[in-house]
Amino acid sequence: MIVGTRKPFEEIKSYVNGCEKILVMGCGTCVSVCMAGGEKEVQLLASQLRMAFEKEGKKVQVDEETIQRQCDREYFETVKEKIPQYDVVISMACGAGVQMTAELFEDRVIVPALNTTFIGVAEGEGVWSEKCRACANCLLAETGGICPITICPKGLVNGPCGGTNHGKCEVDKDKDCAWTLIYQRLKTQGRLDAIREIHPAKDYRVQTTPSKIVHRAYEEKEEA
Amino acid sequence: MAYDPKIVAFCCTYCAYSAADLAGSMRLQYPPTVRMVKLLCTGKVEPIHLMKAFEAGADAVFVAG
Repeated sequence: MIVGTRKPFEEIKSYVNGCEKILVMGCGTCVSVCMAGGEKEVQLLASQLRMAFEKEGKKVQVDEETIQRQCDREYFETVKEKIPQYDVVISMACGAGVQMTAELFEDRVIVPALNTTFIGVAEGEGVWSEKCRACANCLLAETGGICPITICPKGLVNGPCGGTNHGKCEVDKDKDCAWTLIYQRLKTQGRLDAIREIHPAKDYRVQTTPSKIVHRAYEEKEEA
Repeated sequence: MAYDPKIVAFCCTYCAYSAADLAGSMRLQYPPTVRMVKLLCTGKVEPIHLMKAFEAGADAVFVAG
């Protein structure tokens, strides 16, 4: 899932100073799971804003809304009448959700409340770690299911390099050496021969920005 | 005028609330500005409950359980 963290309160507030009607809008999918931009976080941010404005003696209306997904236009059906009534919408979605909202409501100011951080997994309660850099050319079959592009700070496709140090990386001694992890995983699987294979230089041409995918079944529709 | 803070107390029914009840039976006194909210378990308390209490004008909030 996509993992994000909330921006500092003062930064968020600076985006909406001077506005009289504010909607804080959460997203019920990834950022809800990582406790950054779901319904509960919307309630907290809205409450903080109301109190901050009241303390300043300003009369500001701060409302709350959370939709299932901000990266999918069909979920905006329930808020399409509501959003135009506000001066500004604070989107608590990831960067994709903020942009979808901004695209659908072009005449409204949409501002982000989160910093979108990575694609990752939940390691335990309240802990997430990055696992994928969406490089569009997956190597996991050859690396024992451990991504060297993400886990190796150098993103090496062949390793380990000379900087591996007792399972840690020379770049940051708190970080695991991805290629040591890969070695151990392949050893567990009895596939150590795989590490001898030299992978060609990664084709970064497939990692274009912005990427776009049209499912085959929908190609005609897209062209029409 | 003396500062008389409004305090909201979220209390677990099985311990803190029972203690408050016992305080009552023992005729022990505490300020009337302490408002108690009885919960089946304080594990249910969410940050928003505390924020709502502050929004409603509480000067202090505590959770006892």
